Amino acid sequence: MNLPINLQNTQAITRRHFFGQSGLGFGAIALSSLLAKNGYSAQTPNFKIPAKAKSIIYLHMAGSPSQIDLFENKPALKKYHGKDCPEEYLEGKRFAFIKGTPKMMGPVFDYNQHGESGQWISSLMPGLSSVIDDVCVIRSMHTDQFNHSPAQLLLQTGNPMLGYPSMGSWVTYGLGSDNENLPGFVVLASGGKTPSAGKSLWGSGFLPTLYQGVQCRTDGGDPILYLSDPKGFNRKARRTTLDALKDLNQYHHKHVGDPETISRISQYELAFRMQMSVPEVMDLKKEPEHILKLYGAKPGHISDAESATDPRQLYQSNDPTFANNCLLARRLVENGVRFVQLYDWGWDHHGSSLGESIDETLPIKCQQIDRAIAGLITDLKQRGLFEETLIVWGGEFGRTPMMQNNVRNELQKGFYGRDHHPHAFTMWMAGAGIKPGAYGETDDIGYYIGKNPVGIRDLQSTILHQIGIDPHRFSFPYQGLNQRLIGPTNEGKVIKAIIS
Amino acid sequence: MKNFTLLLLISLPNLQVQVSGEISFNKDIQPILSSNCYSCHGPDSESREAGLRLDTREGAIMDLGGYRAVDPGKPEESEIILRIESDDQDEVMPPPESGHAISSEQLTLLKEWIENGAEYETHWSFKTPHKQPLPDIKRKEWPLSPIDHFVLKKLETENLPISKDASKRTWIRRVFLDITGLPPTIEQAEKFHNDEENDAYEKVVDHLLASDTYGEHWARMWLDLARFADTKGYEKDLHRDMWRYRDWVIKALNEDMPYDQFTIEQIAGDMLPNPTPDQILATAFHRNTMENDEGGTDDEEFRVAAVKDRVDTTIQVWMGLTMGCAKCHTHKYDPISIQDYYSFYAMFNQTEDSDRVTPIVPTPTPEQARQEKEIQKKISQLQISLQEKPETFQKDLENWKGKFKNQPLWEPFTLVKTESKHGVILEQGADGTLQAKDENPEKDTWTLTLSIPDDTQITSIRIDTFPKKSGGKWIDKNVALREISAEWRTNDDETKKVNLINPRADFSQNGWEVAKAIDGNKNVGWAFSPRSDQPHVAIFDIQNPIKGGNLKLTLEQEFGQGLLFESFRISFSTYPVEWLKPVIDYEKKFNLIFEEQVFAKTRNIHDKIKRETNALNSLKSQISKTPIMRELPQSKLRPNTIHQRGNFLDPGKDVNPEVLTVFGKIPSGYNADRLGAAHWLMSKENPLTSRVMVNRVWARLFGTGIVETEEDFGSQGMHPSHPDLLDWLAVDYQENGWSLKKLLKSIVLSRTYRQSSIIHKDALQKDPRNRLLGRGPRFRLTAEMLRDQSLFASGLLTQKIGGPSVMPPQPPGVWKSTYSGAKWSTATGPDRYRRGLYTYIKRTSPHPAMITFDAGTGEVCQVRRIRTNTPLQALITLNDQAYMEAAGNLSNQMLNYDAELSQQIAHGFRRLLTRPPEKKELQRLISLYHQLEEEIIDKDDYLQSAGLKEGNPAMVALASVLLNLDETLTKP
Repeated sequence: MNLPINLQNTQAITRRHFFGQSGLGFGAIALSSLLAKNGYSAQTPNFKIPAKAKSIIYLHMAGSPSQIDLFENKPALKKYHGKDCPEEYLEGKRFAFIKGTPKMMGPVFDYNQHGESGQWISSLMPGLSSVIDDVCVIRSMHTDQFNHSPAQLLLQTGNPMLGYPSMGSWVTYGLGSDNENLPGFVVLASGGKTPSAGKSLWGSGFLPTLYQGVQCRTDGGDPILYLSDPKGFNRKARRTTLDALKDLNQYHHKHVGDPETISRISQYELAFRMQMSVPEVMDLKKEPEHILKLYGAKPGHISDAESATDPRQLYQSNDPTFANNCLLARRLVENGVRFVQLYDWGWDHHGSSLGESIDETLPIKCQQIDRAIAGLITDLKQRGLFEETLIVWGGEFGRTPMMQNNVRNELQKGFYGRDHHPHAFTMWMAGAGIKPGAYGETDDIGYYIGKNPVGIRDLQSTILHQIGIDPHRFSFPYQGLNQRLIGPTNEGKVIKAIIS
Repeated sequence: MKNFTLLLLISLPNLQVQVSGEISFNKDIQPILSSNCYSCHGPDSESREAGLRLDTREGAIMDLGGYRAVDPGKPEESEIILRIESDDQDEVMPPPESGHAISSEQLTLLKEWIENGAEYETHWSFKTPHKQPLPDIKRKEWPLSPIDHFVLKKLETENLPISKDASKRTWIRRVFLDITGLPPTIEQAEKFHNDEENDAYEKVVDHLLASDTYGEHWARMWLDLARFADTKGYEKDLHRDMWRYRDWVIKALNEDMPYDQFTIEQIAGDMLPNPTPDQILATAFHRNTMENDEGGTDDEEFRVAAVKDRVDTTIQVWMGLTMGCAKCHTHKYDPISIQDYYSFYAMFNQTEDSDRVTPIVPTPTPEQARQEKEIQKKISQLQISLQEKPETFQKDLENWKGKFKNQPLWEPFTLVKTESKHGVILEQGADGTLQAKDENPEKDTWTLTLSIPDDTQITSIRIDTFPKKSGGKWIDKNVALREISAEWRTNDDETKKVNLINPRADFSQNGWEVAKAIDGNKNVGWAFSPRSDQPHVAIFDIQNPIKGGNLKLTLEQEFGQGLLFESFRISFSTYPVEWLKPVIDYEKKFNLIFEEQVFAKTRNIHDKIKRETNALNSLKSQISKTPIMRELPQSKLRPNTIHQRGNFLDPGKDVNPEVLTVFGKIPSGYNADRLGAAHWLMSKENPLTSRVMVNRVWARLFGTGIVETEEDFGSQGMHPSHPDLLDWLAVDYQENGWSLKKLLKSIVLSRTYRQSSIIHKDALQKDPRNRLLGRGPRFRLTAEMLRDQSLFASGLLTQKIGGPSVMPPQPPGVWKSTYSGAKWSTATGPDRYRRGLYTYIKRTSPHPAMITFDAGTGEVCQVRRIRTNTPLQALITLNDQAYMEAAGNLSNQMLNYDAELSQQIAHGFRRLLTRPPEKKELQRLISLYHQLEEEIIDKDDYLQSAGLKEGNPAMVALASVLLNLDETLTKP
């Protein structure tokens, strides 16, 4: 670099200074230093515990899939199929759309037993069935929210209201990330739309915005907003401008002495590196054919659903967007990203209009995800990453064992539907010290929990626990309270029975 | 409390200094107890363990059966000390699993405090502030204002240096950015630089406070608190017009509306006597709460959530306290009980709104209001001028009416033949009326053959329908004429279609407007419920008037049950269609027809009235309607109870409306309602309101508040760095008539503010975060300021105050909302370059360039923005369209300034940074320019990226570097 002599000296001095300082990258930052920066004395208790997981891949099916048609084989419910719902199940309940007395609706698809555990899994998910011995199915989830936005928020941020940090933000705030050149918390969306509660689901709430989820996009544009240099500007010119910026900023720092200037220089350098590292990690063309096939991924595919006003009308069973995202998730955790959050939209099967039915849409949605999920588990295992990656799958609540009847009170092809159901639903977890098998039960018709209920707080506690955070001690002081992901009360418990 | 002194090590954040002083309960003891003990031994009786409370002295020294938690004077016998020191895992306090721990320094403090009598004090911020005498200082020549005395005293006590004054160019950039959010122009800066007068500084400040850009900049702080946004939030997140409220805030600030009035109008403007439209608009403050349009949601649930948000926001914004906890249980740290919460809630729980947009009112802009008034005035003047008729009017009218003796205005057709699908027969009476006879089908279609006179052209046809008789042919008195069509059988036996136009009726049923009878769509037509028992008239003009032969008129009445004509008449007219009005008794309206349509002078006036009325209607349709607060009538007031565990479906005991018990009562003369609450907030006795506001303003100027936790003045919040300064400012703010402009002026003219922000090495070590203010403020600009500065310096900024929010470029695909289908339509023209304040805020998807620079989403009250420094920010200022276009325009400004490269570069530099570049900086920039000249190859593409058709790509890239300098991004 051709610099005047005195500027070179400046550089040398400030570089020493720089390496002595920690820039606020995406990496781990001492909590105490951040807290002190924002007005709280360093009093955060030690929350770190031995970790089973290094990374988390959370697969959220936005809209909430029907557990009755995927995991809950209920012969009793089948018996009631088409009959009026017993009054006792309706009394005092609120539904989003059900009116009057609805009819019971048994599982629509066949069930078979799979794996050593002999779990009943719907025929819609052959892929998951093939890896079921790696997975712990929790059939006794419940929540207290029955509308999408608040339920998604409760699950992801610990509060049904907006404005709280998401799980990914909490985790990266607590643990940082292992890759300085990538965001620690990445969000990938498929299904044509972002989930109901919008970007708040990966917002950082009252935590510094540094910890908000970074949405990596696969719709053909920049994988991260503003990542690309302006058209016509090449990498060499970018490097030249950043060199000048660095020199000028360092020169200014010599005069003013604000360490924040040095931190800024490092952020610009990190941005420059990200311009290379993000497209690199996001490029699926780098994957060999057999891996693409394993997931059902297709590099460069842009789904029609992405640009549709109502993507439900356009769902194709071979749409590879979710599969691509699963493969990206593996690439990201492989590169040290702490928390990868996938959202797949299109699981809200009320049966009240075309493209949102149990009988026709659910099979399509299952085909979009099933092979990819099996592929992800298989791939993580063959790379030795399965034991250090926690995978979580589920919706924000369940669906009713009754048919939804606000449009018609009889079953009609293409319009099988179920309403929102907060009292019982199914999720599963895998990897990172999760014991395969099944946990919890519902009653005969799958309406209420029968055994071992698992609340949202329990789920969150367990996730934090596996990533090496004591959920009870992990807090951030805000608005007069030590705020926690699991809320102010101690109802949340780590589900000991499912961890090894 | 007995005074004593001791030397001890206390740890200020990052500041280890030896301090000699006396132990203060508020400063030293309460923080230890609050953060380690109160959650189990505090105000909340439900979660209190072992019946012990440590937040009051009575509780702490209570006899626990031969021993006390705190035994004044005897630390060695006090149970809390024994427990803290215990090695027994079951005994030790705080319990290890709580995660709390007490350090040895804290333990020493606790022991000394107990030794000394264990006195409690009212929490500092709950005591009324007073102005303390200005402290005695050594460097008496330094202060310019009382503020400086307090600051200097602290620095002298801590033995820390002050900084010299910032250069005048630094100061002017700082003060411009702080007061208007925009940098100075080069001319403004140089004028000040060369102004040697004593009042040079003051002149600048006065000028800035008087400019409209002041209100725009400071509105942002308030809008963060007000959770202002352009959408409703939650899943659907639909649009809602709120921008008139934003403009109200700008205007109020620019007029320097006193804070008490500013408060009262926003909280209860609707309850003031004879409120003005602006006072009602102000109440939109609390209508910024979210609304949920998702299917199946219980409006009451979200109404209650909105009211709770109003309670929390009110106490948060004005008193810096957090109420949230008390929703479910008594506050664990501050003396706010669940009963307090719902008593306060009861005052806010009496408004009409219920999770729907209503009530909304038209809220014209001043310009619209002026236009509205002007048009209304014109109309009434025109109407007055109609009252006096010219002399010839009456005579001409009589002449005109004479015409109708030979040929009436309307004349019944003669019925030649009726065809009915179901055998209905029509009988024509002497006055031309047609009566349906014989069959009475549910539905029918009739084709009537009517005779057209041979001598004159007919211009229009008219249907009169008369009420059906009770007990007559059909029960339903309504008629559904789904479609009417006409054919002309000429005297030569040719058949031609007749186009019916200008449909009009005296009355139409909602959704069954008369135009639908000729729209070619047979689903609906003309009907007239709920006025079915009255006569009605419909008129259709004939597009090309006809003469001679027959008219075949088809009346399609195929809807419902018995919605057919029973008694009606069909007439024609030969006169100009303007004369033909859809009025029942048209002969009585001859005068009006003549006045409106025939007599030239009055016709002109009527035409004008019509034009003005149209203009008025179109203006009214453009006026934004804003959600506002409206109190329920006395008879509909809601009963109020505690919501147990915060659940609105689980009512506890009844509560009466009241303010928080520890902070006095509603001022006399006011009721326990929103208006009373507003006056209580602003009463002199309220210890917090003024402190919280001055602290907030201080924080915006210095980067950190005197109380760093702006959002928490309660026992969990931080102690003020300069308590006496805070109180002095708080009292002064009240004494100056709650004038924000005066408050700002007093701070920015202080010597404290004028200091250079250059950080000396040992100052950095001793006070890295400048909490003691030994140097000027230096921190990154906000999202909005960054945008505004780059647009302003490049000459792109559209300086227009107010108006609907705008959509500057954002990357494609950012808005992907479920269901609503709302689209981001990128502004072209001036709206592309408005200040950041006006960028559209969709709560679930705010502009990415804004949130990345720490702006909020407008979902909940945002007290302060935590500043971050991330690589995503670098990507925005390097690559975002807005910054690229700014770079493009800035490069043109530079090129046009001078022919010489170094002059061009220096000019761009000064436009952003006010100061000229130093020689070394300039050299570096010149060498950069030459490098870029070689390296940018795709010149046209790059220019296009910067919004330019032609220009100099190297200069664009250089301008982009200037926009990204740390100094550019930072307040100097």
